[in-house]
Amino acid sequence: MIAVLALLAGVVLGLWLDPTVPAALQPYLPIAVVAALDAVFGGVRAKLDRIFDDKQFVVSFISNVLVAALIVYLGDQLGVGGQLSTGVVVVLGVRIFGNVAAIRRHLFRA
Amino acid sequence: MSERVGDDDERRGVRTFTPDFLTELFRNPLDPGYADAAQARARRGRSPRPGWTVSPVSLVLIVLLGFLCAVAYRQTTAEESGRAQARSGLVAQIKQRQADTDAMSERADQLRDEVNRQREAQLSGSQASRLRNLAASTGLGRVRGDGVVVRLEDGPSGQDGLGGANVGPSQVLYSDLQGVANDLWGAGAEAIAINGQRLTATSTIRNAGQAILVDFRPVTGPYEVSAIGPRSMRERYEASRSALTMRKVAQDTGLSFGVRQVDDLTLPAAPEPRLRYAEPAVSPSVSPSGSGSPSPSGGGR
Repeated sequence: MIAVLALLAGVVLGLWLDPTVPAALQPYLPIAVVAALDAVFGGVRAKLDRIFDDKQFVVSFISNVLVAALIVYLGDQLGVGGQLSTGVVVVLGVRIFGNVAAIRRHLFRA
Repeated sequence: MSERVGDDDERRGVRTFTPDFLTELFRNPLDPGYADAAQARARRGRSPRPGWTVSPVSLVLIVLLGFLCAVAYRQTTAEESGRAQARSGLVAQIKQRQADTDAMSERADQLRDEVNRQREAQLSGSQASRLRNLAASTGLGRVRGDGVVVRLEDGPSGQDGLGGANVGPSQVLYSDLQGVANDLWGAGAEAIAINGQRLTATSTIRNAGQAILVDFRPVTGPYEVSAIGPRSMRERYEASRSALTMRKVAQDTGLSFGVRQVDDLTLPAAPEPRLRYAEPAVSPSVSPSGSGSPSPSGGGR
């Protein structure tokens, strides 16, 4: 419950502050969001599996975001940014799907 | 649920990396670190946090996630509006240029009329009438007279219920217009215009994507092919192949096709043709020293 409130607080904060993203960081923002979502769904699933660990969650969140942004940055420098970000989104999307399926099994037993 | 490849190793606390990354990714999308941490905790005899509470650090991260989502959303919508602005700017530019072109071609028409008037004032009667006749038959002069108007219109879209509104013959094709124009010439037309675009000997009727271009200017339906010609033209056209084909097509699909006699048609002049001049091919066998240089500065004196 607190987590949901924190999420809402973050959304409100983002909408209210409305920060301008530096142009250099703009291409990495969507990828970073997807990576962060992956970490969060992993965390929720771990919670339901009763193996949640704060340290693991924090580390996976930060490293996911950084690694995803780094891969896309590298791809941009090598001229394959679009393809690499597609690859990152596919891998993260598969993980999100798998974790959401596990969460669903936990919640609905189906 | 599913048996892991490196289960024994993991029980001993050694993380293994399976060779098939994708299979592993699909089978177990959860970070292996959670399992490790849980095992480590179990070894140390600590129980996991009860319920749904999370540590402050995790809370901060979740706030950050919401923040990121909101910022990314804002960013995307901002980019969208920028794109829409650029698009509407381009559309406005196109409209402006089209209006400019129209105004200039109108001015050109006026000037051409002026030139014609001056010329006719200078020329003798027989020469002037010969010139007028030539201009009328080549499409360079405006003509008035009786004739027929062939009207074609796309059928109502989406009538076949398969979302294939753009396929099939319910749309007027450029070849239909070509056929109509050719058969009108064949039926004795002296001047033809499609939607006010006069056809000359060098006119083209082509398609580019979904649009039909007459002399590189797009025309849109309903298409009206106006032709000036003798009285018998209508009958002869009605018996032509394109008229019969289009009647059948109009019967089978929703396309509409009609031929009617119209008195006192006025067809505009075609734009001045860009004249192309033939040039003699330069044959490589001619030696440059023998023929001398045909430069204008050298030959002038």
